[in-house]
Formats: sequence, structure tokens, C-alpha cells
Amino acid sequence: MNCFEARRDFRAFWRRELSAERREAFVAHLRECSGCDGAFRNFALTAPVLHSEVEPAGHREDLARVREAVAARRPAMAYRTSAPRRQWLSMSAAAAMVLIAGIMAAYLSISEPVGNLNDVLSQSEPQVEPVVELFGPVTPVARVDQGNGFAE
Amino acid sequence: MLGLARTVERRWSAAVKPDQELIDEALSGQVGAFAELASRHRGSVERLCQRFFSDHELARDLVQESFLKAFAGLKTYRAEMPFGAWLRAIVINLCYDELRRRRRKPEELVGDFTEPELDWMQLVNTATPEEIVSAAEEKRHAHDLAHRLLDTLRPDDRMVLVLKDSEDMAVSEIAAALGWSEAKVKIRAFRARQLLRKQAERILSAERRWAAR
Repeated sequence: MNCFEARRDFRAFWRRELSAERREAFVAHLRECSGCDGAFRNFALTAPVLHSEVEPAGHREDLARVREAVAARRPAMAYRTSAPRRQWLSMSAAAAMVLIAGIMAAYLSISEPVGNLNDVLSQSEPQVEPVVELFGPVTPVARVDQGNGFAE
Repeated sequence: MLGLARTVERRWSAAVKPDQELIDEALSGQVGAFAELASRHRGSVERLCQRFFSDHELARDLVQESFLKAFAGLKTYRAEMPFGAWLRAIVINLCYDELRRRRRKPEELVGDFTEPELDWMQLVNTATPEEIVSAAEEKRHAHDLAHRLLDTLRPDDRMVLVLKDSEDMAVSEIAAALGWSEAKVKIRAFRARQLLRKQAERILSAERRWAAR
């Protein structure tokens, strides 16, 4: 076993995953190589956290705590689950508004048709003439030589 | 007979309900479905928290907080990623925040060793590799000392070291979980190992000097 192989096996040795033969070769290498021996001792200082199989404490009450806490947040969940329903409501309200606006526009276009501008102008001319006929030809209202009209 | 077979089949299919099905049920308001998800993934979440913190109470709190956060954000979960990986990203970020919050100066940590810790250091210095492995399994202070040593690292360095060496996560996975570049992950991992080796050498040589007196 060389130094590279030995250092690659640190973790497997720590976890007792090496075969008996390989373990013997590993230990024999560390006995002969002070560099790898020192490196393994350094490795051993943090291996209990970094390389050991950590057994979860597995407290039963932990799960119960999670369940309770989640149940306590249920209203928030209900809010989330009702969100799609609210989305449908707002979408149908918007559709109804568009429909109403469409109907109103159609109604206005039928009851008050907007004609050609020339037609409108030509229709306005005869409306002036009867007014002129009714009152006769236009004469000046007051002249200086005829007085003010109140004395006679 | 057929009825029994059907019952067994029903129970079996209920037992192996996929995560996604449980997620859908939880989203529809069934708390029991989320509790089932939590019990399924609790072991891995707890293990990960214990790699970062020696304080069991703190680890338990973080486990609970992780599940609450997962529950609150369940709607944002997308099935393209396995639920376990999504949950792990939540745990990683919570632990990272906690590490940054609790960060202390290294000199406060490595210095005063308890008697059992000194015994353990002596054993590491003098015993055979096989004796060291056997002893570590039994000694709680081996675990505590390892945590103290890891506490000397910056949160970034420790995070990368644990995820890479303990959780066997790929550089790309770590980068994605922490929102870092892959280059940053590699640099941090290298730096962390170097610092840790120096700290370990310092501790063991100090113990040798102390034993020689």
C-alpha cells in the first residue's frame, strides 16, 4: 500500500468498512510511514463528527412537536389552499365586467348612431330659416334720428 | 383469502406512498400527510444538524424549524427535484445562518481543555490506529473535542467541509445549495482542510509537550 492509497482509506478504516486484508495493509503502512501516521492522528480528531455514522437521537416527541406546530399553522394552509378558488372568483368577475362593458357599448351604438358630419351640417341649415321667416326681414333696432322708440 | 390479499396490497401501497403524493395531500390540508413526510426524512435532517452542532437541544430545534419552513414553503416545491434534496437545502441554509449567528473568535475555543478531552488527545497521540477507532466510538468527549475543533473554522469553511466530507455532496450540489460559485466551494474546502490540519497539529503537539513535563 502506498501513501495515496492509505490516505484514501482513512475514512473506510474509521468506519470499519475495510476488508481484513486491506485493514492489515493499512495498519502496516501507518507503522512504517510517519507522515501517514501523523495525518491519520490529525484525521482522528475531527472524524468523530465528520466521518462517523451519526445515529439520530430519534426522539419520539420531536415528531409530535413538528405535528403540533404544523397543525397550529393550519389557517395559513387553509389560506393557501383557498387561493386557487379566489383566483377563479376574480377571473370570473373580470370576465363579467368585460361582458357588461361589451353589452353597454353595443347598446349605445344602436340607440345613438353617429352619422356623417356633412349630413349633420346640412340638417342644421333649414332649422335657421323658419326663425327668419317668423320675425320678418331684419331691420336695425334703434337709430339715432328715430329716437329711442319710447317717446312715441 | 382474496380480501386479505387486497387488504395487504392496500396497506403496502399506503406504506410506500411516494413523497409527491404526500406533498399533494399536505397541500390539500392533511396534516397527517406532512407528518408522514417528516418522519420519513427526519433521520437525515437530524444527522445533518448534528454534524454542525454538538448541542442536542439546538439540533432538535433546528430540525423542527426545518420542517416548519418546509411546510410553509411546500407550495413552492417543484417536483423536478427530489423532496429530500429540497429539504436538505432548507436545512443547510438554516444551519448556515445559525453558524454565522453563533460565530466566535477561534482563540476563545481552542485553549482550555477538560480532563477527559486531554485524555482523549493523549490516546490519539499514543495509541494504535485500531485502538483510536474503538475508543472514539465510546467517548463522548471525542465528539465534543471534534466539534470544538470545527468551531475554529469560519462558517463558510465549516459548511463546505461538512457537506463535502460528511454528506458526500458534489461541488456543484454545494454551490447550488449555498448560491456560490463552484470555484468558491473548492477554495473554501481546500482552506478548511488546511486550517483544520494546522489546528489538529497544534493541539496534538501541545498535548505532547504537556505530557513530557
